[in-house]
Amino acid sequence: MSPMNNPQDLNPSSLKSRFTTRFLRALTKINGQKPISSSSPREMFQRYRRIKVAADKSMAWSVRSRRTWSRAMLWKLRSRYSCRQASSSRRSSVRTSTIIKSRQAKTSHEKENKNTTTGQDEVGFVVQADKLRKLVPGGEAMDLCNLLGETAHYIKCLTTQVQVMRKIAHFYSL
Amino acid sequence: MFPSLHSLGSCTYNGMDLTVLEKQQARLKWLQQQQQQQNYVVQNNAHVELCTSSVPQFQGLLGSSLCGGQLVELKMPEVYLGSDDFHKFVNFSVAGPEFGVSKMDLVMPEAAADYSISRTSGCQMTAFQTAVIKEEGEDVVLEKMESTTGRESFNKRKAKAVADYKCKDKKIKEVEAESEVKTKCSAEVSRNSSKEKSKASEVQKPDYIHVRARRGQATDSHSLAERARREKISKKMKCLQDLVPGCNKITGKAGMLDEIINYVQSLQRQVEFLSTKLAALNPSVEFNVDNLHVKEFPAYVANFPAAAKSPAMANLACLQLNPLQKEAVNCILDATMHPPGTATEGIASASMLIPEQALGSSCVTQLQPFSTWNTDPQCLYNVYNMGFH
Repeated sequence: MSPMNNPQDLNPSSLKSRFTTRFLRALTKINGQKPISSSSPREMFQRYRRIKVAADKSMAWSVRSRRTWSRAMLWKLRSRYSCRQASSSRRSSVRTSTIIKSRQAKTSHEKENKNTTTGQDEVGFVVQADKLRKLVPGGEAMDLCNLLGETAHYIKCLTTQVQVMRKIAHFYSL
Repeated sequence: MFPSLHSLGSCTYNGMDLTVLEKQQARLKWLQQQQQQQNYVVQNNAHVELCTSSVPQFQGLLGSSLCGGQLVELKMPEVYLGSDDFHKFVNFSVAGPEFGVSKMDLVMPEAAADYSISRTSGCQMTAFQTAVIKEEGEDVVLEKMESTTGRESFNKRKAKAVADYKCKDKKIKEVEAESEVKTKCSAEVSRNSSKEKSKASEVQKPDYIHVRARRGQATDSHSLAERARREKISKKMKCLQDLVPGCNKITGKAGMLDEIINYVQSLQRQVEFLSTKLAALNPSVEFNVDNLHVKEFPAYVANFPAAAKSPAMANLACLQLNPLQKEAVNCILDATMHPPGTATEGIASASMLIPEQALGSSCVTQLQPFSTWNTDPQCLYNVYNMGFH
């Protein structure tokens, strides 16, 4: 292992350190739930899903509600969790699904409005803008200007996330 | 020594902040001392003549004649265009009725008193504008300088000044067209095609954007707002260009957007891959937060090549996994990196990517079991489907 170099995330309130602490906490919890030795591919897949959700959730929590994409991601995770929780009770699942549908209807309606007003200006790259909207969480309900700003912040957070996860994996795989 | 300044101070302005004037005076004094030139006072009956050879000074003086009482805060007053060029003049007038003043006297240091141009009503004006945009959660001040005088040399000099003003944290663009959104001044704009605007502070985000219409262009609010919107979008595209690696050569919004989309997708795939890796880790060591923070992370610089998959593949190769875990990780990796329909293509591309990396000899031996991928795609499909149930 290479010798220790300068500390990279000294600032306790930086995005990186916030994400790191949260993610490690989540990882500890996940690993405590099931021992890894008895993992079939299916369990491995479940663990992978859980870790991915934990990573996204930690990142969104580190950003809190300051950004549209983090709010959208947290909302999505929470709604998915509540859907799963309420799967036994049909009424609440119907309620959550109607909530999701109404939100989707609202966003599509907003998108239609936006398209009619700004269609003339963005004829060249509406397709790409739509693709970007699908990638960035919460992007459906944003106009192009805000979408670009959110994308910039999202890219920054993703790079932080990848850096930290890579370091963790590297640190613990040796 | 500054009689005109006192007269300046004595002018009544509607809603004007006199501390602005004091600041301008202090700045002027400082610039005067620097340049060691005589003051040149220009007075005119109905117009204001302004002779300047240094833009920051002019900016400072402009700040005292604001529309709307907002303050221009200069970032770099020490940038000095050169006092030896006496041919640069800017004429400028203030809309009298709006401010309640009929004239304004300004002091400009000037080496020669002969070069002054009296302003006619149709003359252009100079406007300086600062805009604040939020970049990545931080406030970045953009200074936009614009000069539309009749003298071309001033434009060249202004371009040089723009270059001078650039510093590492701030970007300065020359705004060619601005339009006014504020309705109070819209009548003024329609009356007089050129109007001077300056905008407030560096700290807060402005409520509206001052834009100025170019000569001969439409001045209705729709097209002006449209233009302002387009400026914002192009600004943000420039920010994104800095974030996404390898975008410098690409021009055009469509290409940029494609690049951005690819980059975001590759980042998301990286996250997925790393979570599979973490899922496969043997947690003999606890994920101790203190452990990680005290022992500083090794300098594992996240270098991002354009093909973001390649370092991920290299890492996978070096990972110590038992065969069952390896197969599971392979399946997950395959499932995440490519949709089910293109699994075989994914294998081919993945196996192509591995040789691209400079792998150590110890890692090469790890690659041998991976050859089993090509022989058994069916099993991958089974595991993938199983994982979703």
